[in-house]
Amino acid sequence: MSQVSKPKSLAQSNPLFELGKERLELIGKHADALMQGYLEGQVNELAFSQQALQKLLDSRILFYPEEQSLSLRPIVNELIASLTRDERKRQINTDVGEHLDQIDTRVQSLQAARKKGDYAASEHHMQLLTERVNDMTGQFGDAIESLWHRLNTEFGFVSSLDDKILEIELAQRQLRRILDGFGIINFDDLIQLAGSDGALRKLLVSQLQARISEHSGSLLEVQKRLVLLMARFRQQQDRALLINRMAAFLRQHPNFQIGDYPNRSQVPEVINQAHGISAQAFIALDRAQDSYTLAELARTVPREPEQVSQSDKQTEGFVIAVQSLVATQQKQLAKDVEDFFIQVIESPEALSGVDYLFEQALPWEPEMWLFQIVAEYQGLPEQNKQSFILEKDSAQKSRFNQLHIIQDVTVGMRFFGDFQAAG
Amino acid sequence: MIEHGPLLERLLEGEFICSITDEHSFHKLQNDELVNDLNHFLRPLNRRVAKNDDGSVYFLAYCDLTQNARQHLSHQFASTVQSLLPMLEWMQLVQEALGRDGALNAGDTIKLQDFESKVVDNQSLIHRLAHLANDRVFKSSSDKPDMQIKQVFKRIKEMGYLHQPHKDRLFYIVTGKVEQLIELVRFIKDEENLPIDDATPEQEAMF
Repeated sequence: MSQVSKPKSLAQSNPLFELGKERLELIGKHADALMQGYLEGQVNELAFSQQALQKLLDSRILFYPEEQSLSLRPIVNELIASLTRDERKRQINTDVGEHLDQIDTRVQSLQAARKKGDYAASEHHMQLLTERVNDMTGQFGDAIESLWHRLNTEFGFVSSLDDKILEIELAQRQLRRILDGFGIINFDDLIQLAGSDGALRKLLVSQLQARISEHSGSLLEVQKRLVLLMARFRQQQDRALLINRMAAFLRQHPNFQIGDYPNRSQVPEVINQAHGISAQAFIALDRAQDSYTLAELARTVPREPEQVSQSDKQTEGFVIAVQSLVATQQKQLAKDVEDFFIQVIESPEALSGVDYLFEQALPWEPEMWLFQIVAEYQGLPEQNKQSFILEKDSAQKSRFNQLHIIQDVTVGMRFFGDFQAAG
Repeated sequence: MIEHGPLLERLLEGEFICSITDEHSFHKLQNDELVNDLNHFLRPLNRRVAKNDDGSVYFLAYCDLTQNARQHLSHQFASTVQSLLPMLEWMQLVQEALGRDGALNAGDTIKLQDFESKVVDNQSLIHRLAHLANDRVFKSSSDKPDMQIKQVFKRIKEMGYLHQPHKDRLFYIVTGKVEQLIELVRFIKDEENLPIDDATPEQEAMF
């Protein structure tokens, strides 16, 4: 390691970099056991801790083929084979025909060895044959899995719509190739090849058939998804093109006249949009049962000192009126409370808020009135607050909770620190 | 019927109801029985509940195309046509500035701040925005990109193509009304036999 930490190169900032490095290191870490597995055709599970095994499975280095013991992934076999120039296992060509030829040859060698009674050789051939079949189905599995993965990320690694469409076309071609590969596998030939040998039949016919039909099932799903996605992307592409081309056309032909659709005998659906009707309602005095409510409303309408012209009122509508009504009420309330405080200052003794309210015959709800007094008192600057004393006369609402209802407040002046309460 | 009063009122006022502007009402309107009831009520007003091709947006249409109705349609159609090119240019601008994959769709979100920061980084986008904001549909008098953007989006919201979920946040969602606009564009293309199907999309030449 150099002393100076180098800035990250472009490749190193790629998220794949770390992952790939980790996985390569994983292979290195378990090189012994993996190489053992490579030579024996199956990997000994006991060679790994549970955690390491899970890691190897997750990293797609090892897998469990159908009903078989732990094995190296075909691609890892392939990697080791090509690194070691191990022609015995190296697959120059990964297509199915090649596999089938190899299987055929291997079966011949196996049967020859059996005829000779060479047990060790026939074991060895059987092992290689098993691997070959696993490799073939494994490759199908890998191809389908990679298709799935790309589908599920919706080709997220390409940005433009055109590229996505190209990706789908590519995926569709791959899918076609896998299907063609399935087509090459002729089970009649394989049945004949296996003959009466139970182990061979199981390997070449029943297992293989099960795997292929499973793969066909997933391929069908993949195909459905591809078609759906393709339709969606095409639609998006179509939309973007439509917008671009129509905009370009309208720019190039500024005087282009669009047809007078509204006055055709058949008006197209797409332009049949009714204009808005705004429903308005006004005060009506023709129903006796409404008169009380309306009178209440009328009473609360503030008398505006400045005369707003009639036409403005008409257009302002109700909302403004209600808003200004609330605002004027609020102003009036604040003013009344101010008067109350002035009264307190002038009065020799403390005053009760509720009494004042009734004496002055003010129109406020007692609750609102008291609230405003308390608010006003709280809002006073600290030194002014000192000169008043505010006492809340409250009673507990019920025995079951701590809610206190304020029934009255008395406000008085503070003279020499003592408080002369009213009788 | 009473409980559908507010919905009726909004439809009558000319609002477009989609899953973005009002999901609850939009789901209500998917019930044919209710639509029948509403139509029954609307009949004297010469109105009926209509939806666009893919059912992504509901609005009111005329039942009978009376002279009066046609007059309104003419007026409305003229203003839609007038805003057609600016709207298409706006859609292109948003798509390009935000590096979106495809054209704007209902439900797409636009953060004004993101849009603005992308536009001001690019001289050509600034030009196009200025040109767009000057259009009589948007009527922006400002020469500052941020004000122009605010004005353009405000107007498009008023036209019903954008929904602003929070009054105080400059964050917009494209509404279903855009689908109706695209449908109209497609219709015009087919109806007028515009030769734009096989044309290669031209480079965005400015002025």
